[in-house]
Amino acid sequence: MDTSNPAVFVNSELLRLHVGRRVRAVIQVLKSDGGGSVIGKSTDDQQLVIKGYPSAPLSTFVEVIGIAEGNQSIRAEIFTNFGDVFDMSCYNAVCQLANRDYKHLFL
Amino acid sequence: MYGNSQFDGNAAFSGGGFMPSQATQNADPAFSPAKSREAQALLPLTVKQISEAFQASDDKANFLIDGVDVNNVKLLGMLYEKTERVTDVSFVLDDGTGRIDCHRWVNEAVDTKEMELLLNGMYVKVHGHLKGFQGKKQLMVYSVRPVTDYDEVANHFADCIYVHCYNTRLRSQDAHQVPGHMQNSTFNTPSKGYQSTPSNNVSVQYNTDEVKGIERKILDFLQQPSCIAKEKGVHRDEFVQYLNVPENKILEAIESLESEGLIYSTIDEFHFKSTANG
Repeated sequence: MDTSNPAVFVNSELLRLHVGRRVRAVIQVLKSDGGGSVIGKSTDDQQLVIKGYPSAPLSTFVEVIGIAEGNQSIRAEIFTNFGDVFDMSCYNAVCQLANRDYKHLFL
Repeated sequence: MYGNSQFDGNAAFSGGGFMPSQATQNADPAFSPAKSREAQALLPLTVKQISEAFQASDDKANFLIDGVDVNNVKLLGMLYEKTERVTDVSFVLDDGTGRIDCHRWVNEAVDTKEMELLLNGMYVKVHGHLKGFQGKKQLMVYSVRPVTDYDEVANHFADCIYVHCYNTRLRSQDAHQVPGHMQNSTFNTPSKGYQSTPSNNVSVQYNTDEVKGIERKILDFLQQPSCIAKEKGVHRDEFVQYLNVPENKILEAIESLESEGLIYSTIDEFHFKSTANG
């Protein structure tokens, strides 16, 4: 039982609050050039840059878990394909709840 | 009596009866079939909530979260460190809020098959029983299923939030308090911070003695630097306004605090200060 390394749910608005910390976000892949960076759209419709090398081809929606490097970029450790159908607004709402009123359940 | 129930009731679920070291542990009365249905309800939880779960009493081995008995829990996260042994499979579940050890007893081919399909790094839904073992919390898992529709991730965490809200509001209604009270303390926990203990401890407190809860708040309020600075003390009406509690309850609380010597009246019988600040 270990809660020392949580990954905070973020969208692009919340990403800037957690720079340097471990975060998780779902993005809709816009451009994936295999050259070490993936451009995606966050759950609140902003552009994010994900640095890292995915181990498998990416689906439309991908969850990245990694360290927040800047206001708009994440250095990814793990890419998880979330398929081609996904409800971004629902995940966005969870991000907001998990960071505000219900932070104590997550962090 | 309880020692026997571990071996006959729900043996398929407990599995713990087979391990010699666990057999010497106090039996878990939660497995008694006579328990009401409510005590066996399934709770969706995050690992963080589990890590803060309050042990009800030493001999019961039952946990409390948000004032509710925790038996069966539902978690969703990534599976890591899968280790297959002869009669069981163990793994670590990481749901983004923490990591918890899990054990799945494999008695039949169906169980083994279920576990074989799982790979490290996969998102899974886990359903099991929360157990404390040698001071650590572990999950005795009944089923593990891979996640196929990833909307389930958001759904699970929304579920955790909903159930948490429901249980904490239920506690506040049980204690016959002004509903705004419990909401304030739950939602403002991060900022107001006068609930310095985890929320599940607070709900136990409200259940047993509601006046004590108000007294605590009055004391905390009086110990704020702005109140300490006031030489004349704080007027009784300010408590009513600040805490949003009916005046008669405030009066009761003040009387009790005064008789215990925790507050004293200053310029008149309406103004008070805390004795513990110097």
